[in-house]
Amino acid sequence: MKPKPTVEDLIGIEYAKLGFFREVQEKIAELNATNLELSRKQRHIQAILDSITDIMAVLSPRLRISSVNRAFHDVYQEAHPEGKTCHEIFRHADKPCSDCPALKAFETNQVFRETVIYPVDGKNRHFEITASPLKNERGQPCHILLLKRDVTLEKEYQAKYHQAERMATVGVLAAGVAHEINNPLTAILGFAEGLKRRIPRLPEDTNRELLEDFSEYVAIILKECGRCQEIVQGLLTFSREGSSEFSRVSLNKLVGDTIKLLKNHLKHHVRDLIRFDLDSGLPCVRGDESQLKQVILNLLFNAFDATQEKGFITLRTFVNQGDRVCLSVEDTGCGIPAHHLNKLFEPFFTTKPVGKGVGIGLSTCYNIVRKHHGEIFVCSHEGVGSTFHVILPREKHP
Amino acid sequence: MEVRKFSIPEIIFGRGSLQYAGLCARRLGAEKVLLVSDRGLEEAGWVDRVVEILDHEKLHWIYYGDIISNPRDFQIDKGVGFYHRHKADVIIGLGGGSPMDAAKGIALVASNGGRIQDYEGANRIHQPLPPMIFIPSTAGSGSDISQFAIITDVERRVKMSIISRTLVPNISIIDPLLLQTKSRKLIVAAAIDALCHAIESYVSTIASPFTEIQSLKAMQLIMKNLKRATETRDLNSLEQLSAASTAAGMAFSNAGLGVEHAIAHSLGGIFDTLHGLVHPVLLPPVMRFNLPACAQKMAQVGEILLGKKRRGAQATALGGIEKLEEFCDTMGVQTRLRDIVNEHAKLPDMCRMAVNDACLLTNPRQATWEDLLQICEEAW
Repeated sequence: MKPKPTVEDLIGIEYAKLGFFREVQEKIAELNATNLELSRKQRHIQAILDSITDIMAVLSPRLRISSVNRAFHDVYQEAHPEGKTCHEIFRHADKPCSDCPALKAFETNQVFRETVIYPVDGKNRHFEITASPLKNERGQPCHILLLKRDVTLEKEYQAKYHQAERMATVGVLAAGVAHEINNPLTAILGFAEGLKRRIPRLPEDTNRELLEDFSEYVAIILKECGRCQEIVQGLLTFSREGSSEFSRVSLNKLVGDTIKLLKNHLKHHVRDLIRFDLDSGLPCVRGDESQLKQVILNLLFNAFDATQEKGFITLRTFVNQGDRVCLSVEDTGCGIPAHHLNKLFEPFFTTKPVGKGVGIGLSTCYNIVRKHHGEIFVCSHEGVGSTFHVILPREKHP
Repeated sequence: MEVRKFSIPEIIFGRGSLQYAGLCARRLGAEKVLLVSDRGLEEAGWVDRVVEILDHEKLHWIYYGDIISNPRDFQIDKGVGFYHRHKADVIIGLGGGSPMDAAKGIALVASNGGRIQDYEGANRIHQPLPPMIFIPSTAGSGSDISQFAIITDVERRVKMSIISRTLVPNISIIDPLLLQTKSRKLIVAAAIDALCHAIESYVSTIASPFTEIQSLKAMQLIMKNLKRATETRDLNSLEQLSAASTAAGMAFSNAGLGVEHAIAHSLGGIFDTLHGLVHPVLLPPVMRFNLPACAQKMAQVGEILLGKKRRGAQATALGGIEKLEEFCDTMGVQTRLRDIVNEHAKLPDMCRMAVNDACLLTNPRQATWEDLLQICEEAW
């Protein structure tokens, strides 16, 4: 029940005609508060967007950039990409790319993913692009959110992993094959030597021509068996699992020992083609001396092949990034064709003529260096020369 | 004297002042005006005239004319829907008490929400109302000045009084030219309503010097000009009646009314009696009832009605009441309650309802429902 009006109500001294002043004041205060809250939220959202490490761009239906995040500026030089088209900024093209994921996302109103490789500042970059439609209240796409993740490094790691896996598989295979062949080979060699020993004991009246043939054939069998043994030995080295003992090794001393070892095998003038640039203050590394010698030998033999006794070979040691010790073998030889570069360390890849090598030299190097927690890679220009780098971690101070 | 208050709207008064309606609306921030009026004003051409003025001011407008006398709650609801649908802003009320009270109701519910019933009583409005401009077409209701709105609750058959200073319009434009199209009967009814406002507010318990002078002035002007205005339709006289009605409005809006209006509202609620017809019937018996409580003031009223003093206050007062009855007779209006109400049996219920009316609060003499019934019997 409402209270009945009183005389005081009729006089109404406390009540005035209501105006809008207070309402306007309250509205203004409310709007100010909302405004502050909105800008706080906006800063928060911007901070979230900026902390996303993928490159982010919002595109209009005509592929014009309406905003980007901080990661964009880390990768691209363009200070004000807003209003420019994405193909202009990302690909330096004046029309949309044929496989544009943003256009597909607009058409299908669905998230679209794609992997592309294109150069940024002269270097090829591998990008994973996600184009997702930003929908309006009717569910229609009004903008596209483009996320570009630079997966160049991941892809590199992935490739290295695949290679390592392949090496391991081939290693097991090679070891098996080597063992299986070794036994019959020993038998062949043994019996061939037996034959050789018995030839003189053949009767005097044996056909002389036949005798000479026999001697020749047996010699060939023995020679080829020797070659087989070398190959088998190589395969066993390649696949040898970590039974090796690591000790303190000076790469400079190792280079010296290896050259001494080679001296007797090299012609005089070839020896003069080798130059040295050794860092006298080079720290030691921990490793298996004979295996590392094998690496240097293999690299040197390759360099000899590349220079054909006509160029120079430089053996260099130096410290890289403080905690890494480098050995490089540089030659001024024929160089390696670009399309061979990524297969170089694969087992049984060879450019040498049949009978001159089975293609396990560099893959053996690769395995050894990896066992030493190091890296091996090559820089090469066709017709100018190649440099193989072996990088090993320096010995840790006890 | 206790603390009193006197508040009135801005008043623009004079012949042809109607032309400022558009300008006033624009000054109040109008872009789309809701014009509230009724059939009578449409037929007399005044609605068209106001529309013309708004058009001239290049204001958009919408028109709501579905108002009858004793405006109903559902008419308010309809008007509010109309107001919101068309996104109107300033409200112009054109007409007698009904369209203006309806305009107040629409403004109130449009801005404060709910139903008009929620605001019955005093000072229940908490949000500002849209700006209001009122153009009275009768010299009587005083709704263009007052803080009251009277709306009929159809279901309960009650005339609800809604009282708030916020119901005082922003601007009242009083143009006596509008009276020229009114019938003689309407002019008389309105003038006696105004006279009743003047007398009841004068003897009110919360009358102040500011209201008393308006009450007295209104009585003088009505007694002096009503006859001439009805006989000759002389514009000067009509203008004086407008001034009288405005003065009476200022008085009763601030001083309140009394028993007579309490009964009149109740009659309107139950019998749908035209407000203007009630006063010639009820005013004399009510004055007689109140006389013992305010003999001196009644004598001053009597002096104005009679045009002279009699020996003693009592005699002057009674003489005035007799003169008033005689005056109403000569005006040719009905003076008996039985002429305007046909169900005598409903009078007790009607009186029980009337004692709850806010107008009773300021009556100089305490009154029970039996007192009110006695007054009605006297008027029957």
